[in-house]
Amino acid sequence: MSDRKDIALRRAESLQKRHAAETRFRWYGRAAISFGMLCIVFLFTDIFSKGAGAFQQTYIDMEIHFDPEVLGLTPQSTPAEIEQASFGSFFKKALRQQYPDLTSRKEKRQLYGLVTSDMPLTLRNQVMAEPSLIGTTKSIRMIADDDIDVYYKYSYGRDNEDGTSVGRATELQQSIVAELAQQGRIGTRFNNTFFTAADSREPELAGIKGAIVGSMLTLMITLIISFPIAVATAIYLEEFAPKNKLTDFIEVNINNLAAVPSVIFGLLGLAIFINFFGLPRSVPLVGGLVLSLMTLPTIIISSRAAIKAVPPSIRDAALGMGASKVQTVLHHVLPLALPGMLTGTIIGMAQALGETAPLLMIGMVAFIVDVPASVGDSATVLPVQIFLWSDSPERGFVEKTSAAIMVLLTFLIFMNSFAVWLRKRLERRW
Amino acid sequence: MTERFQTVGNPLLEDPKMRVRNASVFYADKQAIFDVDLDIGKNQVISMIGPSGCGKSTFLRCLNRMNDTIDICRVEGQLELDGQDINDRKIDVVELRARVGMVFQKPNPFPKSIYENVAYGARIHGLTDNKVQLDDLVEQCLQRCGLWKEVKDRLHEPATGLSGGQQQRLCIARAIAVNPEVILMDEPCSALDPIATATVEELIHELSQNFTICIVTHSMQQAARVSERTAYFHLGKLIEVNDTSKVFTNPEHQLTEEYITGRIG
Repeated sequence: MSDRKDIALRRAESLQKRHAAETRFRWYGRAAISFGMLCIVFLFTDIFSKGAGAFQQTYIDMEIHFDPEVLGLTPQSTPAEIEQASFGSFFKKALRQQYPDLTSRKEKRQLYGLVTSDMPLTLRNQVMAEPSLIGTTKSIRMIADDDIDVYYKYSYGRDNEDGTSVGRATELQQSIVAELAQQGRIGTRFNNTFFTAADSREPELAGIKGAIVGSMLTLMITLIISFPIAVATAIYLEEFAPKNKLTDFIEVNINNLAAVPSVIFGLLGLAIFINFFGLPRSVPLVGGLVLSLMTLPTIIISSRAAIKAVPPSIRDAALGMGASKVQTVLHHVLPLALPGMLTGTIIGMAQALGETAPLLMIGMVAFIVDVPASVGDSATVLPVQIFLWSDSPERGFVEKTSAAIMVLLTFLIFMNSFAVWLRKRLERRW
Repeated sequence: MTERFQTVGNPLLEDPKMRVRNASVFYADKQAIFDVDLDIGKNQVISMIGPSGCGKSTFLRCLNRMNDTIDICRVEGQLELDGQDINDRKIDVVELRARVGMVFQKPNPFPKSIYENVAYGARIHGLTDNKVQLDDLVEQCLQRCGLWKEVKDRLHEPATGLSGGQQQRLCIARAIAVNPEVILMDEPCSALDPIATATVEELIHELSQNFTICIVTHSMQQAARVSERTAYFHLGKLIEVNDTSKVFTNPEHQLTEEYITGRIG
């Protein structure tokens, strides 16, 4: 045996090593967290700096004289006559009147390109609503074309060293913008279009409402189908099913399903729902069915965990009083497991909301300009809309892409916070 | 098979409430109870004592088929309540458990209000017709358990807010609300302090006038205080059954003597 002094010395030495190891470990943890936070900050800064612009829209004010002769209309014209009138050529003429110096065909085209190509239609609608406009002159606020929009928002009034500008605004258009700005006839306002319109080929007219509604319809179907099936499965497997080879096999398969790449579910949906059952393509109904296949294992697994977490003493108490198995489950186990089940469901829904790949397989990637009204209408969803826009060559879609990501993230953060709140709210101690 | 062990003392009675013959319990292949013969008298308190793992709790759980909840557990032999075989697969365990109630080792009130805890059994068995009767029943049961004065102003507060002793008495109130014939108690005082224990023991004593009570306990003093008969289990065998005073003063079997004098256990 070594003497006391020696032991004390060894102990001090080992203590020092232990302290060092603990400090080191703490720093590893801090480094890992900082790295994660840095990535998130970088991601958010990037998305926000790119996407913030999409919430602003450039407008141009133009004096338009609703010339009865050019339109061939009078204030007494019927809607049918207004429908027939050629607002396209009228609008071009009205613009030309403002800039009589622009004579060449090329210059004229650039002039027409200042505002969105949708303008003649908007004017027609205004006249339709208010026929008394005919014969008067009115200042009309117009949505600027996407090239002008990005030029005005990102290049106008800033010194670019190499003289280049964002977007495809020509020198002529740039000089007109400068002139308009001097007169105070160009500016930005909140971009209503982005939240009220569906997709469009023109970035200035493209909005996210179609995708949001499509996502909601799809998620609704997913929830309606997956929640009851998953909860019934979880309760049966956990409380009623005998523990044997068959249930083991089912359990392994459920766990495996949770790990299957989502694109496979898309192929499955394509084969079964579209090819076999003949359901239409690109509709939220099929999208929801496919996503519920994908979400089922997630909800089942979390529901089973929630049921397992209910203390057995509660079951014993109920059974010991002569409650039947079903009564025990419905009266005692389910209320206690419900918060966990709901949390799992919301997290599964959030996953489904962000899913793209399986929906590409069933055709929800189509270009759709209408806001879907039912689960049987062609639709697209938020992540697919992001994918579509990120793929578009127009400069105007860059900010739209980031803005759509912001909207998607907002929904996800909202859903996850709701899950946390719900768990806190329903949790009961025993 | 080893030769059958013969229980010493007086395991059999005339006109018992419950009659157990040749009861054996297996967990998968492992035998936990060996050929127990025992009669449980009407409106009597019988206590089961023995070292840890001797099978007394397992035996108790046979009496209302709570062992059914354990998949690998198998019970053999003849178990009768008022002459009716309760180990029959065809019997309705819901009815059996309404007649043979149970109180567990750890107080396990439902995470609901005090009122709901007591009312639950009456509700599921449809014992009352209206709210007034149910209120009466709840009050009556709480009063019998000496809990009424303590909780009457907070009936609708969570039962989990009560102290350990109060929770255990609430569990007993919950059990008697179903009006069972037999109450099984599995170490009901092991999680309680001495004062709460004394209250529960008093309660057991009072209840024994109307109920048949089987109590598993680790405390020999408790067995001596509350029970009229005592059964001593050892390694799954029922060693000795006799009047409590006889078991503690003049045990017949050597193992019993070693246990009560503190040499085993």
